[in-house]
Amino acid sequence: MPPLLEAHSLTKHYGSTVALDGVSFEVNEGVTGLLGPNGAGKSTAMKLFLGLIQPTAGSALILGQEPYRSPDGRSRIGYMPENECLPRDMTATEFLMLMAQVSGLPPSQARTRTADVLRHVGLDEERYRPMHEYSTGMKQRVKLAQAIVHDPVLVLLDEPTAGLDPDGRQEMLRLIDRTARSFGISVMLSTHLMGDVERIADSVLVLESGVLSQVGAVAHLTEETQTLLIEVEEEIEGFTAILAERGIEAKVNGALVVVENAKDDDYDVIRDAAVASGARLRRLAPARRTLTDIFRGERP
Amino acid sequence: MTAREAEVFDLGYQRYTGPREGRNRARWSLFVNGLRTLLGIGRGGKAKILPVLLFVAAMTPAVVFVVILAFIGDLAAAADEGDFIPGPADYYGIVSVVLVLFGAIMAPELLGPDRRDNVLPLYLVRPMTTLDYLAIRLLAFAVIALVLVYSGQAVLMAGLALTASEPLEYLRENWTDIPKILLMGGLISLFISMVTLAVSAYVVRRAVAAAVIIGAYLLIAGVVDGLTFAENCIDEQAGFGEQAFHEDVECDYITGDFAPFIALLSPSGVTDNINALVFDLPPQSPSLLAVTELPDAAPFAAYLAWVLGPAALLWHRYRRIRL
Repeated sequence: MPPLLEAHSLTKHYGSTVALDGVSFEVNEGVTGLLGPNGAGKSTAMKLFLGLIQPTAGSALILGQEPYRSPDGRSRIGYMPENECLPRDMTATEFLMLMAQVSGLPPSQARTRTADVLRHVGLDEERYRPMHEYSTGMKQRVKLAQAIVHDPVLVLLDEPTAGLDPDGRQEMLRLIDRTARSFGISVMLSTHLMGDVERIADSVLVLESGVLSQVGAVAHLTEETQTLLIEVEEEIEGFTAILAERGIEAKVNGALVVVENAKDDDYDVIRDAAVASGARLRRLAPARRTLTDIFRGERP
Repeated sequence: MTAREAEVFDLGYQRYTGPREGRNRARWSLFVNGLRTLLGIGRGGKAKILPVLLFVAAMTPAVVFVVILAFIGDLAAAADEGDFIPGPADYYGIVSVVLVLFGAIMAPELLGPDRRDNVLPLYLVRPMTTLDYLAIRLLAFAVIALVLVYSGQAVLMAGLALTASEPLEYLRENWTDIPKILLMGGLISLFISMVTLAVSAYVVRRAVAAAVIIGAYLLIAGVVDGLTFAENCIDEQAGFGEQAFHEDVECDYITGDFAPFIALLSPSGVTDNINALVFDLPPQSPSLLAVTELPDAAPFAAYLAWVLGPAALLWHRYRRIRL
């Protein structure tokens, strides 16, 4: 089976503006985060994979096919756009029925799938209400539902948590996670919210100014560093002085004592220094790199 | 005997293993959606008012003609005396105006909401191309327009046959009108569909689009009529359906030799010219008369331009929409 998505030297120019510059990567099963600041080329990449625009050079393949040239190949992908895309006067049921059929499902199966998917996204009770009466969270769930109503193998989500309050955001992330883990539908998630990607993605692609700057598994990119974070109460100055006497250079950062380039033996030295100084040791743990660090240019 | 307690099992998410019918299913479902939108099916009562009113407006001329026929009585005798007997060509002359009204009001409803609500990208990421989308929207509109005009013609044809002294004889003698009726109905529906959809592609708001279509239709037709006016040859005594100019007078058009070409620019004349040719009708206005000075192919060429021009504009608009 070919990769879900393949980009080969993918390039897109808008006049003199280079939106994507010779990008190459593959996306396989699971949840993939597509990260990047505004203008990095995320939306352009998505549109190329969806067949909405044509590349200037290179190729964007989805399930081994060029989406722009083979419309039938698009029947196995789903798309949830960032902006509003719901017909105001239709009910969720009518809309999903239509989208299922436009994806190629016969009417009877479209009806069954619509009822099932609306139940899975938690809109069972609201399915016969016109969508202009829905809250932002409900609209986001309908947008996700229309993207998966035809049971695609891959769904592309563009900023799915945009505009949601913290509870709504958590709920949407749970739903996306369920879509991937329980429903078995692979997800490509385009966002500028690194927390969203860190929480649910298996792998990440980072685009900056149309160029791929990072690619890899989230677990690998956010692995432990050699920096130790120490939280102590009382006697911080005495604690750091003893550390210095014993050859460990520590910096105090608020309530935290930070030791960089720590070695395995340093754990015992730190524990003994805490005992000797009378400081109460609350936490001693290696720092993990976050996607935010990577985004700021701190390479692993 | 005690009833067993019911249990509800959640089977969880089920993968879809049924048929996937691809692009043809996509096209058909969009076509049905277009018909439902135009007819207000699945919407409240208010959405059905306009389609019903327009259907009534399209049927009214046919019904009025049938009533006139009933009063005429002996059609053959009336024809011999040169009296006006309403026929399929006269019906098309009137109903094309009703169709413009229908297009102005309903065509924006077919394209506007998809763009206004940003639904278009959701269609185009599925097994459907921009060309599919436009062709299917056009087809849905043209089919409704055809149903409107053919229904009126069916009523009129039935009226003509039933009011004739020998209905079967009438049908035997006039069956050649049927292909002409089908052809003209198709040409009028395609023309109205293309022009009104092209305008709707550029104006999202329904009321504005309707105003632009009706305003432009009246304005251009009025200007063309003004520029092709020929006072010296008008027969003011001519009745409805009769030759409206003096055959023995050469018309002196305001725009002289350019008048026939200017007359081709009239949106109201574009189908009337072909209607006159197909049904062999006498011209009823100076602008229609002016066109008769050109070869018979000219009205067809003008028709093609009036259809292909809006088609190109429609395509151009949708190719440039940022999705």
